[in-house]
Amino acid sequence: MIRVENVKKAFGHTTVLDGVDLTIEPGEVVSILGSSGSGKSTLIRCINGLEKLNGGRIMVDEFDVSKPKELAEARKRSGTVFQLFNLYPHMTVLGNITLAPVEVLRRPRSEAEAMARGLLESVGLGGRADAYPAQLSGGQRQRVGICRALAMQPRYLLLDEVTSALDPEMTGEVLTILARLARDGTTMLFVTHEVEFARQISDRIVFLDKGRLLVDLPTKAFFAADGGMGQPRVAQFLSKMRKD
Amino acid sequence: MRFTDFTPFDLVLLAQGLGVNVALFLVTSLLGLVIGIGWAIVRYYHVPVLSELVAFVSELLKNSPVLVQLFLVFFGLPGLLHIRVTPVMAAAITLSANTAAFTYVIAVSAIESIGRDQIEAARVFGLSRWQVLRHVVLPQAAAFAVGPLVALLVNQLQVTSLISVIGVVDLTKIGNILNMRTLKPFIVWTAVGLLYYLASKLVAWLGSRFEKRLRAHSAWRGL
Repeated sequence: MIRVENVKKAFGHTTVLDGVDLTIEPGEVVSILGSSGSGKSTLIRCINGLEKLNGGRIMVDEFDVSKPKELAEARKRSGTVFQLFNLYPHMTVLGNITLAPVEVLRRPRSEAEAMARGLLESVGLGGRADAYPAQLSGGQRQRVGICRALAMQPRYLLLDEVTSALDPEMTGEVLTILARLARDGTTMLFVTHEVEFARQISDRIVFLDKGRLLVDLPTKAFFAADGGMGQPRVAQFLSKMRKD
Repeated sequence: MRFTDFTPFDLVLLAQGLGVNVALFLVTSLLGLVIGIGWAIVRYYHVPVLSELVAFVSELLKNSPVLVQLFLVFFGLPGLLHIRVTPVMAAAITLSANTAAFTYVIAVSAIESIGRDQIEAARVFGLSRWQVLRHVVLPQAAAFAVGPLVALLVNQLQVTSLISVIGVVDLTKIGNILNMRTLKPFIVWTAVGLLYYLASKLVAWLGSRFEKRLRAHSAWRGL
C-alpha cells in the first residue's frame, strides 16, 4: 500500500502540493488527471524520493520515504517510468534493463539478462536487445523504459506522463502494454493526459488542481457525473480534453 | 671532422635527452591524472572543507606560471623545510601538480555534463551514489573528457622542457649544449623541435585511438 498523507511541497514561494492525501491499495490502477502545473509529476517525484517533502508523510508499505535509511527499501518496491525515458545512452537496451537488478538486487548477470530478454520479447522488442537508445524510436525507448522498471519486479509502478513525448502511433504501442499490465493486476499510479485511456484501465481517478486533490472517485462515478460532483473545475477540464 | 660539425651521434644524444622528457612526462601524467580525477571525485561527493581546498589549490596552480612553481619547489622548499630537493624531484612534483590541476577542471566539467535525468533514473532504481558514478557518470564523462585530456597531455609533454632551466639534462638542455659546441642554431633547434614534434604526435595519435574506443560503445557521434 502507498499512503500519501497531507503532503506539502513548495519550490521557493510556489506551492506545488498543498496537503495531498491519497492511498493506493495493491492491485489498484489509479490515474491522476489534472492540467499542467497542477502538481501531478511532483507527486510522483515525492513518492520515489526525488523531491524532499516540506510537510506530511509518504509511506511505501511500511517504509517512510523521508527517512534516508528507509528510502532505499521503498525505492526497491516501486518502479518509475519517466516522461522523457531517461535511458542511459552509453548502454545497450540489455545493459539499461539489467543495471539495477545486477547492482541493487545482486542478481547473477545471466539470470538478469534472461529476464530482460523475456521482458523485451513481451513488449515486442526481442530483436533489439543489443541496440543503443539513440538507435530506437521514441515508442521503442519508452517500452525499454517500462521493461527497465519491470525488471526490478516492483510492487508499484509509477508512470509519469509516459506518453506525452510520443506521437499518437507510438502512444498506442505504449498504452497497449500498459493495458495488459493493468489486466495482469499490476498496481499502477498513472499520471496522464490520456483521459480516454485512463477511463479504460483505471479503478479510480484522482483529479489534482493547483496542488490540491479535488476529486478521488471510482472511474465510473468520476465519468458518470461528468466530473461534475459540484466541481466545475473538473467539468471544465474534461470538456476541454474532449474537444482536442 | 671538426668539433663544429653536427654528427649522427649528436642525434643519439638528443634522443637520450628526449628519453628523459618522455620518462618524466609519463610519470607526472600518470600521477597528475590520478590526483586530478581524485580531486574531481572529492567534489562530486561534496566532501566538506576538502572540496573547497581542492578547488583553491587547483586555482593557484592554474593561474601561475609553471616555471615560477618549479623555482618555488626547487629553490623554496629546501630552505623552508630543510630537505634536499633534487632537480628531478622538483620537476616531478611541479609537473604532477600542474597536470592534476588541469585534469581536475576537465574532469569536473565532464562529470557535470552528464544529464540529471539519467542520474535521477539510476537513483530511483536504488543505485548508490558510488554505483551511479561508476556505471552511469564515469563511462560517459570519460568519453567527454578524453579529447581535452589528450590536448592537455600533449601540452604537458612540451612543458617538460622547462626542467632544463634547473639543470636536468633533457632534450632542451642537450640542444643548448650542442648549439654552443656546433654554433649551428638552425640545425640544432630544428632537430630538437622535430623530436618534440614526433613525440607529441605519438601522444596525440595514441589519444585519438583511445578516444575512438571509448566512444565506439556509445551512439554519440559528436557534432
